[in-house]
Amino acid sequence: MYINRLLLLAVGVFLIFSPAVEEWVFHSGTAWYRPYPLWLLVIFAAYLNQRTRYPDEL
Amino acid sequence: MSFSLVQILLFIVVYLTGLFAVAHLADRGIIPERVSNHPATYVLSLGVFAGAMASNGVMELAHRYGYSFMLYYGGVVFMFVMAALLLVPLLRLCRVYQLSSLADLLAFRFRSPWVGAAITMAMCLTLLPLLALQIQAVADSIQIMAGGADKLFSRDNRQDGLALLFCIIITVFSILFGTRHISSQQRNTGLVTAIAFESLVKLAAMLVLLVAAVYGVFGGPGNLEVWLGQNPQVGDTLQESMRDSTARALLLIFFAGAVCMPHIFHMAFAENTESRYLRSASWGLPLYLMLLSLPVLPVTWAGLKLGHSLPIDYTGLALGLTSGSTFVSAAAFVAGLSAASATIIVTTLALANMCLNHLILPTRLLQIDREQNIYSQLKWLRRTLIGILILAGYAFFKALSGSQTLTQLALVALSGTLQFLPGVVATLYWPGANRKGLLTGMAGGLSLWFLAMLLPLAGEYPIAALATLGEQLLGSGDQRWANAIMYSLGLNAALLLVVSLLTSPSREERIAAEICSMDDKARPVRQTLALGSAADFADALAAALGEKTAQVEVARALSELQFSPEESRPYALRRLRARIEANLSGLLGPAVAHGIIESCIPFQTGLGGASEDIHLIERKLDRAQSSFTGLAADLNNLRRHYRETLDKLPIGVCSVGIDDEILIWNRSMQKITGIAPQQVLGSLLGSLAPPWGRVLGDFNRGDNHTVLKSEVTTDPERPCWISLHKTEAVTDDAGAPRADTIILVEDITDFELLEEELLHNERLASIGRLAAGVAHEIGNPVTGIACLAQNLEYETDPEEIQHSARDILKQTDRISRIVESLVNFSHAGSSSGEISLAASNLADCVDEAVHLLTLDRQARPVEFANLCDRETLVLADSQRLLQVFVNLLGNARDACNEYGQVRILAASDGERVTIAVEDDGCGIPPGQLGHVFEPFYTTKDPGAGTGLGLALVFSIMDDMGGSVSIASPLQSGPNPGTRVTLQLPAADYGAAFELG
Repeated sequence: MYINRLLLLAVGVFLIFSPAVEEWVFHSGTAWYRPYPLWLLVIFAAYLNQRTRYPDEL
Repeated sequence: MSFSLVQILLFIVVYLTGLFAVAHLADRGIIPERVSNHPATYVLSLGVFAGAMASNGVMELAHRYGYSFMLYYGGVVFMFVMAALLLVPLLRLCRVYQLSSLADLLAFRFRSPWVGAAITMAMCLTLLPLLALQIQAVADSIQIMAGGADKLFSRDNRQDGLALLFCIIITVFSILFGTRHISSQQRNTGLVTAIAFESLVKLAAMLVLLVAAVYGVFGGPGNLEVWLGQNPQVGDTLQESMRDSTARALLLIFFAGAVCMPHIFHMAFAENTESRYLRSASWGLPLYLMLLSLPVLPVTWAGLKLGHSLPIDYTGLALGLTSGSTFVSAAAFVAGLSAASATIIVTTLALANMCLNHLILPTRLLQIDREQNIYSQLKWLRRTLIGILILAGYAFFKALSGSQTLTQLALVALSGTLQFLPGVVATLYWPGANRKGLLTGMAGGLSLWFLAMLLPLAGEYPIAALATLGEQLLGSGDQRWANAIMYSLGLNAALLLVVSLLTSPSREERIAAEICSMDDKARPVRQTLALGSAADFADALAAALGEKTAQVEVARALSELQFSPEESRPYALRRLRARIEANLSGLLGPAVAHGIIESCIPFQTGLGGASEDIHLIERKLDRAQSSFTGLAADLNNLRRHYRETLDKLPIGVCSVGIDDEILIWNRSMQKITGIAPQQVLGSLLGSLAPPWGRVLGDFNRGDNHTVLKSEVTTDPERPCWISLHKTEAVTDDAGAPRADTIILVEDITDFELLEEELLHNERLASIGRLAAGVAHEIGNPVTGIACLAQNLEYETDPEEIQHSARDILKQTDRISRIVESLVNFSHAGSSSGEISLAASNLADCVDEAVHLLTLDRQARPVEFANLCDRETLVLADSQRLLQVFVNLLGNARDACNEYGQVRILAASDGERVTIAVEDDGCGIPPGQLGHVFEPFYTTKDPGAGTGLGLALVFSIMDDMGGSVSIASPLQSGPNPGTRVTLQLPAADYGAAFELG
């Protein structure tokens, strides 16, 4: 089974940085909509990722 | 502010009529295909995930857990962003094998109808709370709109009649637009478009609520910030996230729900078969859900500010009713209505397919009349099941009578479907899992779920001890359900792991596991079918499907594959079989379809096992070559290099399977035979155009591994000869024997023509050598005739004249015979290639050869003894046989000393005549004996022989169906001698043969 390497990298980065991101998003007491730019960032990354076809996609 | 029941009913009817209209217009094509088939429509149709929980229940989550409400969306977003992890492989599996539900998938992977039935029953049970949730959201909304909010939790005074009516309308919609196509894999365009429309309506309604909350209640975004600053406890709640274990459990169930919930599975895989749609959804659905989630916090806070008395779930309605805005109330109601209706429709549709394919058909709970229209019967069964399921959901809702919040119901349903996640993950990533492990794991996980999650919905535990035990084990409050979720999943996965490791899977399971865990889902295995044509398929399937349905299914598969109805190539028939199974899988479910195909169109066993379908693999690799990267690209380049080498070999190469199927046919084969590879690959060897089918088929079946020369002339103008060699492809990497045969075909036409020309030259040389003798032989009678003619001039006695005339005639006869012999000999060398086999007198032929040889006065005088029986007849071409004897006797004479003896003997066993030409000459050294029939090989002095004589004999005897062998020495001593033995079929004068 071929797993997208970029995906693995993304999961690794997410695991490493998730405590810091969580702290920034949820505990800094600023704008209530702060999680949404982060959500948009994820959507943008997913958009970029899907533009290239998976090499094993027959 | 409140509405009358009639107004609400009217509102519901108008909305659902709009939904009907959209579905109808899409089905009719009035909504253009570029809209209904657009990826955006597919993405929006996946919004079916956001049911009443998204429009109502999520507000309670936001109120209690702040930002943690986002976990509801986060699970699905994570699943789609990471589509390559589960969704893409699942889509491939579902597309190739026409799987339309989770039960189809797991029944296919674990090769058991029991798995399908167990999944279906468990799914129905776990989904009842979800259906009840949707109906409750609509029923409560109606109750609130009708001004009866105070009766929400009263079992007797609820206005549930309209909720029942809503269920009935939804049932009609599902039946009309969800069962249009009989195959569950065919896209219901109307349904997909209508669900996408509902997602748009839901989003629009939620955005209306956002505006109403921010501007209507707070007076603008700035004031909202001010209000938040004035109410720090709201901010504290927002940032007080759930306990880690609770949040993880929540994320897990929503993550699993994205693939295990039947309505999402149905929309993602059954209503869509294109991976580009899924790629669009990987970012499109997260975007949609983000927009849908934006209003949640402001609306919830607006509800707090207003201080309404309604349950938090219905804050949207509270905004409208408190502010007296019909528009906002309608928007809040529509948000819930659209969310609930979409979820109910698709969920029951998916569940109905599962029940039909895994409960009704395999267990034969209802018998299908095979003589009647199967499609119509299946359609009605599916419709009935949809009705039953919606009513079951309504009954469950009535039984609960609003005693549970929407969030509680969602948690129970989602934690139930979570129990299917280990099976899904094992399907894709663990080939070692087996059905015993899956069923045991599911039984364990679902039992715990039933006791810890479902049973508490009914209120108190029936047994007090059980309640105490539950509290001790799982804790209380939020921790209880979070622990229940984790424990049930843990137990499920552990049992799956342990039981799978302790038990072994069946062979079928192993194959399916391999298929599911490979990237390439269609496993190209080449097995031999017992049936020989597409028509046979229809006959064989008639026993299971009925004659008419069988014919329709075979015709449909043929048309999809673009094969002709007369198709008989094994490769094509294998593809046809796979396509019919996939189509039937969409119709009857994979378990039933597999059973029908295995019983009606079985593969033959005991033919040396299956090998890979090289042809199919190559086609796929050629199609996909631009997609390869890295090592895969290198391997593919290597493959293409070897393939090119094989193709460009100047020798024809063809590989044949044990069942005579042609696997490889290179360009030289095309050049030699005039048959292109695409015409023959996958066909049987015997089906090749004449004479190739016969020639190659006989050679493949025969014991002989080499045929030096075989004539395959199809056009008399262009004669053709080939030589054939074959070898078995011995073993594969594992050392297992494989019976494929490789046949090499060499075009030796040029060589043959050259050889014939040389032989002709040899004959001319022989005639040249004979010329002196012939001149002498003819000279003698001519001199005699001249003398007789001179005497005649002066002769007057009539008797003497008569006597002289007789002498002259005798001499002319002699000349005629000499000339005739010479002409015969030269004719034998004509290169027409035509051989006329006829009964020929052997002794006469030998006499004539001896006579010809005696014409050569310069040759060594030897004694020829023709000891053949004068009556012996052989089946031969007399002119060519003469040539054989001239060569053999000439060689014998050359080998003998002066006055040596050459004997010609013949013996017949009735069928064949054996002729021996023996001499007492110098013999042939043993080392040279094996080469004497090779062209240009001679033991004579240079210039004395061309080395073509015996090659010519071999060639002629082969053409006449005879054989030749040579033995030397015959005796010890100075004259060891040589014996050439010829064999020819015996004949009589009644038979005449012609060999073209």
